[in-house]
Amino acid sequence: MRARDEFFIGFFPIPPGLRPFLAAIAAALILLFAVAGWFAASTQAAPDEAGFRFDFGRQEVTGVLSLHPYPVIRVTEGSERLAAGRTVMLSGGGKFAPPQVAALDRRLVKAGGVILRRGDLDMLQIGGGERNLSAAEGDAPALSPPERLGRWRLEGEICDGKCAAGAMRPGRGLSHKACANLCITGGVPAVFVSAAPIEGATFLLMAGPEGGPLPPEALAFTAAYVSVEGEIERIGDLLVFRIDPATLRAL
Amino acid sequence: MQTAALLIDLARLWLWAGAVVSVPFLLWGVGRVEPNARGAWIFRPLLIPGVLLIWPLVLWRWLVLETGRDDWAKRHLPPRRAHGFAALLLAVLIPLTILAGLAIRQAPPSGAPVLLAAPE
Repeated sequence: MRARDEFFIGFFPIPPGLRPFLAAIAAALILLFAVAGWFAASTQAAPDEAGFRFDFGRQEVTGVLSLHPYPVIRVTEGSERLAAGRTVMLSGGGKFAPPQVAALDRRLVKAGGVILRRGDLDMLQIGGGERNLSAAEGDAPALSPPERLGRWRLEGEICDGKCAAGAMRPGRGLSHKACANLCITGGVPAVFVSAAPIEGATFLLMAGPEGGPLPPEALAFTAAYVSVEGEIERIGDLLVFRIDPATLRAL
Repeated sequence: MQTAALLIDLARLWLWAGAVVSVPFLLWGVGRVEPNARGAWIFRPLLIPGVLLIWPLVLWRWLVLETGRDDWAKRHLPPRRAHGFAALLLAVLIPLTILAGLAIRQAPPSGAPVLLAAPE
């Protein structure tokens, strides 16, 4: 039999003429996949330090709940990690707003859950049941009115506040966009990740021009780098960016 | 959103067409074109998902076999001949597609916030 007719069969010894070829292919494949893995990883942004902070334990705070544009609590009695005076975005489990929240708007509530944190972005994920979100005794105290900071043009990315805070590692592309849009339409607060800090904040809670939730046309611009104009106001320690959707422009 | 709804509608239409094809094919057609299937019924429901997906191919093969135009000896020759070219083409196209995707993706913005109008 001529050497070129040698045939590889897995359960027989390797034909001598094929050994160098098989060894070279095996080494080349290992090298190829290692290089491809390194190349794919090098094209991604570093995920940074973010995520669910189960190590902080369950946090329970009292404060005034506001559902506009998205659920936030203005903390009046804080916990170890969420001090009084903070304004904290709220979400429920998965891609949803906190459950049973509609009847508690503008009321004093007790809220308990786990913190998600990335940099200066905090979110409290509220579990189901009255233990985690219920009306507190007493009337809601008068809180400072929003402080207007003017009309701004910002560059950055529209994300949902939960994945951006670390529930997911914010990615890029279509799956990132679909994930963010599902979260935002599910009632999770939308955030603007600014390319540069504004008034010390990189993450701004987003709202529509009238202070309601993000308008549907803005969903076409999520998870892409955009430029957008709008009014910024400070509520507690949280900046709210009321965008003008007509000025949204992909960069 | 409208594009997504259109895609789902098209997929739904495709699957319904497959369902329509699967009824005559699995009740009569498969027995006519495949002697080993005659009198065998239990396996036929297992083919439904496949027929839903590749019903045009099912119809085409059914037609070829019914009309006696099938030449089994030649059936795999043209694809086999094209495999070498297809492999080379993919080896070039896949890296090119990845590199093109990386080249045209957005670069992170660096613009500083601009105050357009001070608060009133």
